[in-house]
Amino acid sequence: MMSFLEVFQYTRQDSAVHNLDPRSKMMLAFTLAVISLLFLNIIPLMIILMAMLPLLAAAKSLRRWARSMKGMSYLLLFIIIFNTLLSTVSNPFSHSIALAIRLLALMTSFSIFFLTVHPDQLAQALIQMRVRFEFAFAMSMAMRYVPTLGQEAYAIMDAQKARGVELDKGNVLKRIRNIVPIIVPLIIVSIRRALSVAESMESRGFGASENRTYMELLRFRRRDWAVLFVSILLLVGSIYTRLFVTLPIWMLFQLPF
Amino acid sequence: MALVEFADFSFKYLGADSLALRKVSASVNEGEYVVITGPSGCGKTTLCRTANGLVPHFHRGYIAGNVFIDGQNTRDATVAKLASTVGLVFQNPANQLVTLNVEKELAFGPENLGVVPEEVRQRVEEIIDLLNLEHLREKHPHEMSGGEQQRVAMGATLALKPKVLVADEPTSNLDPRSAELILDIIANLNKRNGMTVILVEHRLDLVAKDASRIILMDKGQIIADGIPRDVLSMDISSEIGVGIPKATQVYKRLQAKGIELSRVPLTGEELALLVGEAKRR
Repeated sequence: MMSFLEVFQYTRQDSAVHNLDPRSKMMLAFTLAVISLLFLNIIPLMIILMAMLPLLAAAKSLRRWARSMKGMSYLLLFIIIFNTLLSTVSNPFSHSIALAIRLLALMTSFSIFFLTVHPDQLAQALIQMRVRFEFAFAMSMAMRYVPTLGQEAYAIMDAQKARGVELDKGNVLKRIRNIVPIIVPLIIVSIRRALSVAESMESRGFGASENRTYMELLRFRRRDWAVLFVSILLLVGSIYTRLFVTLPIWMLFQLPF
Repeated sequence: MALVEFADFSFKYLGADSLALRKVSASVNEGEYVVITGPSGCGKTTLCRTANGLVPHFHRGYIAGNVFIDGQNTRDATVAKLASTVGLVFQNPANQLVTLNVEKELAFGPENLGVVPEEVRQRVEEIIDLLNLEHLREKHPHEMSGGEQQRVAMGATLALKPKVLVADEPTSNLDPRSAELILDIIANLNKRNGMTVILVEHRLDLVAKDASRIILMDKGQIIADGIPRDVLSMDISSEIGVGIPKATQVYKRLQAKGIELSRVPLTGEELALLVGEAKRR
């Protein structure tokens, strides 16, 4: 059911999009997201969504995207039905279709970023955008310990089951209460682990030097400048269009109900 | 002065009832391979933490006496400052790997100390060569086995180019084969590169033959300190319950039965040789 989140998970690929600098991709994703928030008509949103597909194809991730979107179809259906029933605008169905497309477009724009940027690169990009090393590193460490924590959670679940805790029985309330014997040991174990990790980092000079160096720095190449330039142009252009240009009639097309 | 010098050092953790170390005096010279052993809770880990300043800077408590590392008093020198002198490897490999791939892990220490990027790159390549990590280069810690993780963790410590390698039970979470590999690497570092090593280890079977000295600890005190053959054949060793090598145990049994071998054996081969000698006599 949560399979649609896969679209935000980095996949190792060798593609033109993967090789772009994360900072230029950040700008690109931001631009696409803003554009999809600027318009609320079916046709412009469709154009934006369609324009993103070649990008996904260039990132060799079209199939992954399609699979995740299929996983999201229930959520979209839900949005469409409830909006149609509860909305007060004149053409509720048309409006909710547009909303659903907007959600898709937003997710896709961010997925272009997260699918193709390794967490390490993201951290490095943040550092080079003047975010303090400690914060950027904390983020990358969170990524590092997610699978470890998951493993630990399973081990604790097994241990509790072995002692007779029935984790998957009872009504909703009971099941929620069942989380307690998992979460409490997990927190304790994590705190202990944190201490031991801190010990190890301290021993390797974490925070020792004011001028920490980096083995590899991200570099803007010509194509990164090109992407950045095009993104800014698109952003300014679409904001201008939204504010000062009346869209042609066919762009404002609405479904009749 | 010796490279590592404990001078009547005592320590009590904040909130603990008893001393973790009591009046420990010992010194380790350059090029030595010292194995520390003793039952759990005897202060081995605290001794390791003391060597790089984690005690008293990270773990708070009450201290008496002094520890000098390469002439610096650990009361004044911070952990970070000692990082390029003493490299510490811990028990749990997963807790020592904090980045998302092996290259970054190896670079982490030198980067922290502000080493120039070209040299960081060079050190990383050296370590990858030295510890045979080529195939792991891009791996996430989660994708590696325990033995591989520990090898990387050791590499990450060695990347700081320490003068002393202190390893606190680096093999306790590993299977026998990986453990042997790790201990071989440590022995080689000592033999070929002249690295000073302080190793806490229970599997004396595997390390006694390479060690130049064994320190036996119990209840926060040093009980015995000498060359492996002497320490392991002492009665006190079997009384506290350390993992005495089988060959040495056989030697003692034979001695009790009146058969005297010419020296204390540490390995099976050595024992066979000595028994052969005794038979011929």
